[in-house]
Amino acid sequence: MPSEIPDINWSLLMPQLVIVSTLLIVLVFDMIDSISKKTLGWMTIVGAVIALWASINLLQAGTDQTQFNDMFRIDSYSLFFNIIFLVSTILVALISISYLGKGDKKQGPYYLLILLATLGMMLMAAGNELIIIFLGLELMSLSLYVLAGYFRESPASSEAGMKYLLLGAFASAFFLYGIALIYGAAGTTSIPGIAEKLTTESQSPLLLAGTFLLIVGFGFKVAIVPFHQWAPDVYEGAPTTIAAFISAGPKAAGFAAFIRIFMEALPDIQSEWTGVIVLLAMLTMTVGNVIAIAQTNIKRMLAYSSIAHAGYVLIGLAAANDDGTSSAMLYLLVYCVMNIGAFGAVILARTADGESLTISDYAGLGFRKPLLSGFLTLMLLSLAGFPLTAGFFGKFYIFKSAVQAAVQPDVVNTWLVTLVIVGAINTAISAFYYLRVVVTMYMREPEEELEFNSYPSPLVIGLVLAAIGVLLIGILPSLLLNPAQNAVL
Amino acid sequence: MLLSIVIFLPLLGVIAIALLRGLGASAIKGIALVVSLLTFLISIGLYTGFEAGIDGFQTDAQLYQKLPWIEGLGISYHIGIDGISLWLVLLTTFLTPICILAAWNSVEKGLSGFMMSLLALETGMLGVFCALDLFLFFVFWESMLIPMYFLIGIWGGERRIYATIKFVLYTMAGSALMLVGILALYFQNGNSFDLVTLLATEGTFDHSYLLFLAFFIAFAIKVPLFPFHTWLPDAHVEAPTVGSVILAGVLLKMGTYGIVRFCLPLFPDAAAKATPWIVPLAIIGIIYGALVAMVQPDLKKLVAYSSVSHLGFVVLGLFSKSHLGIQGSVLQMINHGLSTGALFLLVGMIYERRHSRMIVDFGGLAKKMPIFATIFLIVTLSSIGLPGLNGFVGEFMILLGSFVGGAFSKWYVVFATTGVILAAVYMLWMFQRVMFGTPDNTNASLPDLKPREIVVLLPILLFIVWIGVHPNTFLKPMKASVGVVAKKVKVNESDNTPAVGQIIDGETQDAVQEVKTATLQIIEEEAQTE
Repeated sequence: MPSEIPDINWSLLMPQLVIVSTLLIVLVFDMIDSISKKTLGWMTIVGAVIALWASINLLQAGTDQTQFNDMFRIDSYSLFFNIIFLVSTILVALISISYLGKGDKKQGPYYLLILLATLGMMLMAAGNELIIIFLGLELMSLSLYVLAGYFRESPASSEAGMKYLLLGAFASAFFLYGIALIYGAAGTTSIPGIAEKLTTESQSPLLLAGTFLLIVGFGFKVAIVPFHQWAPDVYEGAPTTIAAFISAGPKAAGFAAFIRIFMEALPDIQSEWTGVIVLLAMLTMTVGNVIAIAQTNIKRMLAYSSIAHAGYVLIGLAAANDDGTSSAMLYLLVYCVMNIGAFGAVILARTADGESLTISDYAGLGFRKPLLSGFLTLMLLSLAGFPLTAGFFGKFYIFKSAVQAAVQPDVVNTWLVTLVIVGAINTAISAFYYLRVVVTMYMREPEEELEFNSYPSPLVIGLVLAAIGVLLIGILPSLLLNPAQNAVL
Repeated sequence: MLLSIVIFLPLLGVIAIALLRGLGASAIKGIALVVSLLTFLISIGLYTGFEAGIDGFQTDAQLYQKLPWIEGLGISYHIGIDGISLWLVLLTTFLTPICILAAWNSVEKGLSGFMMSLLALETGMLGVFCALDLFLFFVFWESMLIPMYFLIGIWGGERRIYATIKFVLYTMAGSALMLVGILALYFQNGNSFDLVTLLATEGTFDHSYLLFLAFFIAFAIKVPLFPFHTWLPDAHVEAPTVGSVILAGVLLKMGTYGIVRFCLPLFPDAAAKATPWIVPLAIIGIIYGALVAMVQPDLKKLVAYSSVSHLGFVVLGLFSKSHLGIQGSVLQMINHGLSTGALFLLVGMIYERRHSRMIVDFGGLAKKMPIFATIFLIVTLSSIGLPGLNGFVGEFMILLGSFVGGAFSKWYVVFATTGVILAAVYMLWMFQRVMFGTPDNTNASLPDLKPREIVVLLPILLFIVWIGVHPNTFLKPMKASVGVVAKKVKVNESDNTPAVGQIIDGETQDAVQEVKTATLQIIEEEAQTE
């Protein structure tokens, strides 16, 4: 079959193209010694902002087209996820600039890898084809493995990188095997193609096996219990900015592909997979929150909290309705902002000679560092889901979608109702450990006087943006709700 | 519009303090006091603009507002008041300036944070009482936790961290279930959180029994109903004086308010089924609270447990589902807010002087502190329920309403009445040990109340007497609204009790006369049926 050169509408690929160009520019400028390495960080931010602007424009235009022989889909779903990824990238770059500045670290590859990972995420969200999604996943993961071990001199960082690489490679293998089995069952790797085949042909055990392997693969990538063990070690060992990054964008990217494949390619075997998702969601929330209570290191605490938050997002997938998808998307965006904000505040709370990572080091911070404590408190309250913060509305919307799916006039889905109740109780459990940090900051006396760094301005800009985002979405959720509701598959 | 101003004026005060806190302690206190007084003065406009005859919520544009908020989910900024919430709103705006004045010299660190928490709390509480949209209600309900959490946790006593976390977790666990209930109602209300259309719904909701439970547990924790009460003594004892006043005065009422606003009118059939379970719990609370209060060595703990007992009466009255009982409960919410609030203030004042709350440390205070002793006596008697003071009217209406109108055995009411006797025992015994006898050297040197402290207490005393002597001022505006609830809950029950609510109509009669007429009519009807 003679292959035609596909007619490509480059304007639709603007966000991706901007990221690729930024990446090349950063690569070139890194070689020029006379340029301050901080400039690279700002270039990354400018590139991401332009890509963000392009994505928002495309989203507002209501674009829904495929490119490259239907392998690549630019619809409001992928564009909304682009916004999540780019917002994460911008915030992470902002908190990175001063963080890297303290040592004599090489900075060029750092931003390069962040941009590469972002590109991978955008591929995952836009992939209309399992192979493209796999390509994006690998591009993202390989960059993250390097980033996790970026501080070569630190054994913890190297261990984090190694551990992430090994477990991540396993996960990719599971994922690829799942794709292979689904290809075997459906004869195609195109997402609409699979959906089409499934309606006409009988469902083979091959397909079910493939589906569950995909769940395992995604489970590793987005850190769902019981595939979560890598997360706390990697978060603790990796540079704090990278921990923030891994917990935000890549998790959202994993969910982007997860939700698209399950809602678009596999809706006809929904009854087979929702039960598994419901169980995983309950397990993820409960294990994440309960173990987080026992943590003394704030980075590990945030790691377990980020596991728990993946459980909340799974509720949206388990609901398997339009609101479920849009609530998962909305929650992921909100979660990225507040989680990076919390990590940013942790970076800001560094002592002059290192990082204060145990929760008890925060004692008395509330009155000595009111601004920093205020930021951290706001982020933690949002993570805990207190009203008038974005986190509350995100959780509320997720629960709403699940209750909608659960309570029909004539029948009640007890599994989903239980899931929502477990989720709601988990919110109360999570409040315990988030508030414990607040308690330490405001209600305990400091044991020793710690020297603190001055506030570096890019970090403060990042935190202020995150705080504005959290409050704005908390008070006026319509700003985000309407795009999210329009962006469903 | 007026209502919105009342709700959000304290929040403006929070912002003002945040911006101007560099001006020093007296400026912060001044702003807080002025803002809270202004809020109170404006809230009087709610009373003057109130139409007593209207069933349900006020329609006047000043007292009712509906604006779109999150249209994608059918959520609106929808507020309004009826005869029940009117009094709780006024109680809140009345107690807040008193609290600010009471805390004038007692806050050592973080004064601006303290005043900001107090004012933010006021906005949260007012919002809870005025919200007519379930989502808005939930937002206020949860957001009021944060300032209270800081009030107890930063300015509280020794075990404050334990107490504040327990308080927050208990409330959050309850409200998590309520959230699920709210969402389930949403889909049965045509994808809207509008309380007014919910209340107007004829017939029962699907799964109403579960929904009732989801709401009721959240409110029972807040009230607190036995056996959910264990957070209360901890929170009260560890909270700063002002925190205890707000906690007892207003926060606990959010639970009983929730029951009368949501549980009873929305799920009357489920409430009927649950009554045989809830009423015994309320009575256990009355007697258990009183017995535990009796043996407390700590003044503040004694008052805290007396709250468990008093709130048991309120729940009993609500689940009597008679007009008189519910009306008595609403009145008793106000009474308890005034009396117990005043008791906590008095305990706080004496603690500031003696640095102890142990009853054994006191004795003979009446000789050296006559003004204090007099006010303490009046408040104690009001709490016991002496005729002529506020507590009597509420308790009598509750007991009478439950006796004749309650859909449960009259023996329950007999048991509940022992609570009144026990109250006299623990309160008067405490009063005797603290006030009489010969003062030791430390107690003999305690100064009497300062003018500021008298100013704090006098307004409360005024209302204690006012409600006791002329309760009609308060009963009349709430009559129609209570009638709506009473009518709703009566729907599924065989009702052979006299319509005692009608007797309250006689505006010219005084309270004693009214109650007498009510009793006579009931006895007459009882005789007729036999």
